[in-house]
Amino acid sequence: MKVQESAFIAEKRPLLLKLRDALCGQFDHASILAEDTVGRVYRVSRHSVNVGEGDNVRGFVVKVLDGGRYAEYSFSELEEGSIPGIVAAVRELLAADVRPEGLAANTYAPPAEDPTVFSDATEYEIDPAAMSDEQIVDRLTALRDKGLAMDESVLDFVAMMSWQKYTKLFLSREKDMTQSVMYTTGTVAAAAMKDQQVKQSYMPCSGLGGMELLAKMEDNVAPCVKTVVELLDSEPMIPGEYECICDPETTGMIVHEAFGHGVEMDMFVKDRAQAPQFIGKYVASPLVTMHDGACSAKQTATYFFDDEGTLAHDTVVIDKGILRTGISDLQSALALGTEPTGNGRRESFARKAYTRMTNTWFEPGTDKLEDMIASVKYGMYLECPSSGMEDPKNWGIQCMVNIAREIRDGKLTGRIFSPVVLTGYVPDLLKSISAMSGSAELSGTGFCGKGHKEWVKVSDGGPYIKARIRLG
Amino acid sequence: MEEIISALRELGVEQYVITENHTDSLESFYVKKNLDLTRRADTAVRSVRVFRPFEKDGVKMLGDSEATVRPGMSAEELRGAIGRAWYAAQFVANPWYPLPAGVKEPRRPDKGGFAGKSLAESMKDVAQALFAEDTAQDVFLNSAEIFMRRIETRIVTSQGADVSWEQYEVWGEYVCQCPAPQDVETYHQFSYREPAAEALRADVRHALEMTKARARATAAPKTGAYALVLDREQMAELLSYYVSRSNSGMIYQKYSPFSLGDPVQGESVSGDRLTASLKATEPYTDFGVPMADRPLLEKGVLKTIHGGARFGHYLGVEPTGNYRAVTVPVGDTPMEALTAEPCLHAVSFSDFQMDPLSGHFGGEIRLAFLHENGKVTPVTGGSVNGSILDAQGHMTFSKERFRIKNYDGPLAVRLEGINVAGEG
Repeated sequence: MKVQESAFIAEKRPLLLKLRDALCGQFDHASILAEDTVGRVYRVSRHSVNVGEGDNVRGFVVKVLDGGRYAEYSFSELEEGSIPGIVAAVRELLAADVRPEGLAANTYAPPAEDPTVFSDATEYEIDPAAMSDEQIVDRLTALRDKGLAMDESVLDFVAMMSWQKYTKLFLSREKDMTQSVMYTTGTVAAAAMKDQQVKQSYMPCSGLGGMELLAKMEDNVAPCVKTVVELLDSEPMIPGEYECICDPETTGMIVHEAFGHGVEMDMFVKDRAQAPQFIGKYVASPLVTMHDGACSAKQTATYFFDDEGTLAHDTVVIDKGILRTGISDLQSALALGTEPTGNGRRESFARKAYTRMTNTWFEPGTDKLEDMIASVKYGMYLECPSSGMEDPKNWGIQCMVNIAREIRDGKLTGRIFSPVVLTGYVPDLLKSISAMSGSAELSGTGFCGKGHKEWVKVSDGGPYIKARIRLG
Repeated sequence: MEEIISALRELGVEQYVITENHTDSLESFYVKKNLDLTRRADTAVRSVRVFRPFEKDGVKMLGDSEATVRPGMSAEELRGAIGRAWYAAQFVANPWYPLPAGVKEPRRPDKGGFAGKSLAESMKDVAQALFAEDTAQDVFLNSAEIFMRRIETRIVTSQGADVSWEQYEVWGEYVCQCPAPQDVETYHQFSYREPAAEALRADVRHALEMTKARARATAAPKTGAYALVLDREQMAELLSYYVSRSNSGMIYQKYSPFSLGDPVQGESVSGDRLTASLKATEPYTDFGVPMADRPLLEKGVLKTIHGGARFGHYLGVEPTGNYRAVTVPVGDTPMEALTAEPCLHAVSFSDFQMDPLSGHFGGEIRLAFLHENGKVTPVTGGSVNGSILDAQGHMTFSKERFRIKNYDGPLAVRLEGINVAGEG
C-alpha cells in the first residue's frame, strides 16, 4: 500500500500556488516547502507507560533570492488573505539591517531549474491506523515482561516504537513536487546495576513502512538481556591500538560520524573540511566503497526529493578507496559551481536547510565473519555504538561504543570492556580496513545533528569490517 | 484556547494542561565575514495533555497522553486529535498521583535588556560583539550562526493555572580557524538571556587564543593515568551528573541510588565537598506552579530530590518541576595553583559527555595543555575515559568563575588518576 497524501497539504495547495506566483512575480527566484508530519510514539518500561505524538509539525517555508541575496521566512498559518503579509515579511527581511559595519553579504545567481512535476509515496504493509493504541501497548508490554523475566539482575526493560508519516510539497517557478513517506523505528533496551553503575544494552530496528516492524522487535529481547547481564562484569578499557572487528552498527557509526560529515559540501564552502584536497586520492582501503543517498537504500532516510526540490541521488562518495565526490545542498552547490545531490534537508519547515546525510553505508565485501574473527591474534569485537561526533576539518574520530569483546588467538574469550572511546585519524582507520563481510545491514533509529542541533532522521551501516583502531 | 477547552468539555476531560508557545526568531548565518542568509521563523505550537483516571486490577491509575494542536486544524480535526489522546490515556497504566494546583497570575513581560529593542536591533548588537575581536589575520572566525528569539508561553490547567510570560534569548555558535602552522578549527556555542556584549567578546577572545594553541599542538598525550583539569563547558557537563542523579524519575526507577541526606560524593572525601543549588530558568513548572531556586547539595549531602508530579508523589517528595541549571560556589584554589603540579589541562573535546547512569565521562581531546617538568605543551588527540564514582572524592575547584546558560560556578576542577588513551 502507498502512503496517502496529507489532506491538509492537498487543501492548501491552491493557496500555495497563488503564493508561489506572487513570490515569483516579485523576486528573482522563489520556492516554497509545505510540510505536514504526524506520528506516534509508544514506550513501556517497568515503571512507566507513555503514549504520545511524534514530532507533529505543520507549516511552510519560503526561500527567495533577490538582488543576489537569499532570505527565508518560516510560518505556521496560511489562510486566504495571508499572501500580501508573507510577501511584505520577506521584503522586510531582505532589507533588515542586521550586519555589523564593514561586513559584506554573499550573493548568488538564481539556480537553473528543469521543469519537474513529481508525485510519489513510499509503501507499507500494516497501516498504523489499523492497530489501536491498546494493541500496540499490549505488544510492547509483552516484550517488556519477557525481558524483565529473563534475568533477575535486570533493573529495567524498555520496549519502544514509533512511526512517522509526512507529506511534503515543493513549489517553485519550474517545479511542482509532492511526496508522502512513512517510516517506523523500534528499540528494546535493558538496564542492570552493579556498584552504583547502571549498565545498558539496546537493540534497534527500523525501516520504511508500518507496524510490520513490531514482529522484528520480538527477536531482539533475548540478546539484549544477555548483553546487559554480561556488561555487569565488564572492565574498564585498557587503552591501546587494537585489531578490531566492528559489527554493522559500529561500521555505520564510523561511516557516518568519522567520514560522512567530512564530505558534506556546505563544509567545503566554509573551508571547514579536509576532503576537497583528497578528491581523486586514496582515503581508504581499496576494499571500501561508500554510498550516501536518499535512494541508495530503503531505510528511514529514504525520500524522493530533498527539502530544496532536488531529486534523490545515490552518490558513490568513495569508490574502491578513492574519494570521488562530496554530497551537497542547493545553496552550497551554487557557491561551489557544482551540482546538488539531493542532500538539502531541514529539521522541519521552521529551520534552515543544510547539507545532510541520508542513508550512508559501505558496500559489503566477500569475507566471512568467522574467518575475520579467526584472523585476529589479539583484538576486540566492537558493538553497540552509543554516540559519535564529527571533525571534518581535522578528520579526528570520536565514536563511543558500549561493548568491546576480547578476541585472543582468533576466539572470543568472554572478557568484556565498557565503555570504549574510539579515536584516531579518519584516513588511517579507513586505510587499515583489511576485511569486509559479505552483506551490509543498515539501521535508522537515530537522528543526526549538525554540530549540536538540526536533528534529521538518518540511517547508516555496512558489513562487519576488520580495522586497526585506537581504543581508550 | 476557547475551542480547545470546549473540545475537552465535549469529551468529558476533567484534568488537562494546555501549553501555547509562540516563537518569533530572527536568524543570521555567516560564512567567513559575509552574511550568507537571513531567516525569520514565526511559529506557533499548542499542545494539550489530558489525564484520565481509571482502575486496573483494583489499583487506581492515572493515564495521560498529549495532542498537538496544529495550525490550520478544523474544529473536527481538533476534537479528533484530543479524542485520540483521551482514548490512548486509558492504556497508560501509571499508578495514580495528584496533579499540582497551579496559580493564576498576570502575564510576566520580559523586563531585560533585549525587551526594549527590535529583534533586528539586538541581532546587530550581538553580531557586532561576536565579530569585534575578529581582527587578526592568523586566526579568525570561520563561520557563525546567531538566533535571536522572543518566546511567548502560556499554560492553562484544569487545576487552576493560567500563567503566561515573555522571554527573549540569543544563542548561537561560531567556529574559529587558524590556518598555520597546521590548519585547525575549534567549535563554540553561546547563549544569553540578557545583552552580554563584553562576555561574548571575552569568550571569542579566549576561543581565538585556544585555536592558535591547537594549531601548534601536534602529538597526542602518552597513554596513562593523569591528574586531569577540566574547565568551562566540560565542567558544567561533569556536574550535570548530580542534577541528573537527584531527579525523582531516576531515583524511583532505581537508575540512581541517591536519597535525601546521602553523602553523594561517598564517605571518604579528601578533596572539596560539593555545594550546589538548582536554579529556576523558567518562572513556572509544566503545571503552572511558580518555580524557585532550591538547594541541591550542601557539602556533598543531598538536600533536594527534584522532578515532576508523578515520580515526586511516588517517592513522597514535593514535586518541584524539572531543573536543568545549577549554581555552584567557587572553590579556594586559583587556576595557577590548580595546574602548578603535573597535570593534563583539557580545554577542548570533540564532544565531552557525562553519562549519569554509569558515571563514566570522556571524549576525544581536541586540545589539552600538558603541564610537566615545568613546561606547558599543547597536545591534541587521544581520549579521556574516567568515572566520577572514582574521581569525586578528590575534586579541587577553581577560585575563578564561569557562567553559561545552565551553569554558574567554578571555572575548572582538578581530578586525580584519570585514564587517558594516547600515544604508545
